[in-house]
Amino acid sequence: MSSNSQTSRQIPAEDVRKRGSDGHLRLKGDAKPSVGAKREYRHKDNRSESFTTPETDRPSSRCKDWGSEVEQDEMKMSVNRDMQRYRRRILTAEFASRERKISSGSCDSRDSASPAELETDENVLLRRQKQINYGKNTLAYDRYINEVPKHVRQPGVHPRTPNKFRKYSRRSWDQQIKMWRVKLHAWDPPAQDGDLQAIDQIDLGDVMDIELDPDVEIDSQYPCKTSAEDEMDCYSGTPRKMQKTEELGQA
Amino acid sequence: MEGSGKEEYKIQSFDMETQKLLKTALKDPSAVDLEKVSNVIVDQSLKDQVFSKEAGRICYTIVQAEAKQNNGNVFRRNLLTRLQQEFKGREETRKRSVQEWVCYVSFICNVFDYLKVNNMPMMALVHPVYDCLFRLAQPDSLGNEEEVDCLVLALHRIGEQLERMSLQRMDELFCLLRDGFLLQESLTSLGRLLLLEVLEFRAGGWTLSETAQKYYYSEVVD
Repeated sequence: MSSNSQTSRQIPAEDVRKRGSDGHLRLKGDAKPSVGAKREYRHKDNRSESFTTPETDRPSSRCKDWGSEVEQDEMKMSVNRDMQRYRRRILTAEFASRERKISSGSCDSRDSASPAELETDENVLLRRQKQINYGKNTLAYDRYINEVPKHVRQPGVHPRTPNKFRKYSRRSWDQQIKMWRVKLHAWDPPAQDGDLQAIDQIDLGDVMDIELDPDVEIDSQYPCKTSAEDEMDCYSGTPRKMQKTEELGQA
Repeated sequence: MEGSGKEEYKIQSFDMETQKLLKTALKDPSAVDLEKVSNVIVDQSLKDQVFSKEAGRICYTIVQAEAKQNNGNVFRRNLLTRLQQEFKGREETRKRSVQEWVCYVSFICNVFDYLKVNNMPMMALVHPVYDCLFRLAQPDSLGNEEEVDCLVLALHRIGEQLERMSLQRMDELFCLLRDGFLLQESLTSLGRLLLLEVLEFRAGGWTLSETAQKYYYSEVVD
């Protein structure tokens, strides 16, 4: 019954304190703490403190500290916003290409995915967004976007942020991310003494990075299977800018 | 500019060095130890009644400043971690010092009020805040004017938002308040007055009717 796309933001009855996120049953009016601070709290039966049995109809993150929870909610909101913007972009692109067809009589089918083929699973989108964030939170990315404005970028030559809204298999997606990050390394700052520099605010609106032409996608030979992702990552927050882009262990 | 800054954030109660630290945090978050800043703010909120009711605003400004400057959220994360620790130990805090407990509740409610995420309240705080208010609605707390006052002030400030987040829990809370008002003998007359006012306040859709406003808030004319 619970759903993250609800607009009224009411917490359904089943969610209300039947179980605290530490797994313990909570009785009505029981003022037990809902979460424990990571450092001091141990469950009585010595379960790992990430053990939870939330009573929702879909897997939810096992984050137990408020900091992580808030960060995750924030990411969810921004992903949802991106989704809406992307949908609008697709619609306007479709509309524009239809107009071209009518006026020029060409059979140019350069539409991108119709809404039915969009990736909408929130867990998948969040995981992908997190991977994208890691890449964008780098000096290399900063230098890249400053050096190469969008209109001069050439497909194949310049790295392009993978489109998180398209359906890809897990492997395909991970591969795209890997290659994207490898390509970004070309813009790594020259090796110097390791001063962390102040970084400008990064633009997380990568919706505008997403090209709508399908024929220049990276790795389009991978099958576009529907992926049923049940990843339950605990998002540890917005990654900080790093001088080296080694999170994914790329050479 | 200096003077209005102090008043707006109510940081007069801090010593000069700490005031300087806070002002720097507001303008240039990366230049300070944000964990220290959040601890300073939380510690003071637990001691200072006035500050605990207003500290949310300075927290929000620092969060925004840090996000804008380097997309970081060190301050917010530390703040929430401290809040969560204090939440976990709130029963002990209350036993040790009712005043500190009351300050904590005011503070977490104020943070809930100000620290929005994309203009939405932080979901993570909804149930903890409710838990605190439910505690304040217990018989032993209702007999304490300090705690009743804290409870009704919180409901005035954030009741409507909380209700939107969970109507069911607000209903349950108000059942307790009604019961307390009717049945609990240890309530002082001031305590009863405060409860009655907040019962009418919610019943009126989180606003007081004109007549009720006159009843509760007009000066008594001799």
